[in-house]
Amino acid sequence: MTSKKNGLRRVVVTGMGAVTPLGIGVPDMWAAMQRGDCAVGPLSFDTQDLYITIASEVKGFDPKIHTKSKLVQLADRYSWFASAAAQEAVEQSGLEVPFKNPYRTAAIFGTGAGGMNTTEKSYQDLYIHKKKATHPLTLIRIIGSSAAAHIGIDYGIKGPTYATCSACSTATHAIGAVYDYIRHGVIDVGVTGASEAVICYGSMRVWQALRVLSPEGCFPFSKRRNGTVLGEGAGALVLEDLEHAKARGATILAELLGYGASSDAKDMVNPDIEGPKSAMRDALSDANLSPGDIDYLNAHGTATAINDVNETRAIKDVFGQHAYKLAVSSTKSMHGHLLGAGGAVEAIACIRATQEGYLPPTIGLTEPDPECDLDYVPNEGRKAKVTYTMSNSFAFGGLNAVLVFGPPPA
Amino acid sequence: MDDVATKIIDILKKHMKEPKDDISLTTALSDLKIESLDLAMIVFDIEDTFGIEIPYNANEEVEDFKTVGSVVDRVKSLVAASGATGAKA
Repeated sequence: MTSKKNGLRRVVVTGMGAVTPLGIGVPDMWAAMQRGDCAVGPLSFDTQDLYITIASEVKGFDPKIHTKSKLVQLADRYSWFASAAAQEAVEQSGLEVPFKNPYRTAAIFGTGAGGMNTTEKSYQDLYIHKKKATHPLTLIRIIGSSAAAHIGIDYGIKGPTYATCSACSTATHAIGAVYDYIRHGVIDVGVTGASEAVICYGSMRVWQALRVLSPEGCFPFSKRRNGTVLGEGAGALVLEDLEHAKARGATILAELLGYGASSDAKDMVNPDIEGPKSAMRDALSDANLSPGDIDYLNAHGTATAINDVNETRAIKDVFGQHAYKLAVSSTKSMHGHLLGAGGAVEAIACIRATQEGYLPPTIGLTEPDPECDLDYVPNEGRKAKVTYTMSNSFAFGGLNAVLVFGPPPA
Repeated sequence: MDDVATKIIDILKKHMKEPKDDISLTTALSDLKIESLDLAMIVFDIEDTFGIEIPYNANEEVEDFKTVGSVVDRVKSLVAASGATGAKA
């Protein structure tokens, strides 16, 4: 086993955490993915005049139970999710808390929209309830960097600490940033991922106005797909320098082998094919792998009319004939679109697929779109030998980020 | 052309990158070089102008959005159903 790749340090995953509509904690989430559960359902609040009345919400989350920090318990819902996911990941990593060598650690944790629930409540207080002041913590709750800061405070992280923000590629960019810091020797350990909690009335109105949500459900690659479904939650990874992990006898869950990022520089909503292709190719090349080495691809697969066809075409261009042998699935069919957090949860699905030798399905795929003709692992998951995986994240604005994972180094 | 049609054509022109003057009820929206985000803004303007709600979905190709005339018909039926006056200038 060499400890350097392309002359750079190797980066491994030693902890994972998730808060998702399919379950709180990676074991519950993964079990639900294996069963092919669907977390999409009617909105849990008064929908008033909304005509989009479904989403994929995290149920049964109680910050007093699921987070340890009193500070976090006073924060926005998006920070609760981030904190709970990070806590699970750090506990699994076995790292001593507070982290040793704190300036050699990082907390890079993104969010697409920050504390949207707090924003809504504070405007209600001001404009409807005519309150004299907003809650003193309103600003701290709203800002998109508060989750990263909370994680830093909880674990004594004193190196680079900030949030990424790139809509639906937010988590993937955060993970990529920590990966780069570790392999270039800037830090040894990083807690990364992203969180999102935007399922509230005002936010639903904003999404409804963009006309991209389905009133019925999230059916990626299906002929009947008619838009995405909003989800919420967080995913967290502990990334670590391979030698650092070995020296402390850590259990290594996976290796992060490649990262590719690109921008379409074209349109705010319509994806292009060149950007996604470039990001996938860069991630493969960074991993020193050929397209034929990838066994499973967790697609961005949003179930919008345009994404699924565009992504399918991009996969075919990058993978050639192997595109038809490769298993591709969109777990969004089960957990909805976690927006900024999606990339982290989907990276965890990739890692679990390799660990368990199991391909999570694309549910609701009874009749595929004729233009989507790959193996999307329809309706039921299945056992398979899975060594290398790829996770795609493509965002509004044409911001693309792709990760490649492999098994723990032999 | 009636008032509803005139207002809708004005809204279409406002959102076209290269507005043209020969728009009629039979003009196909696909001939107007309107992209999905433009259409979302057009629908918003129409809703605001006529005080109605159109559950338009950018993921679906529907008959209501094939031609200028089909949009006008849909708006008229929604205005009638909602009892809105459509009088907002």
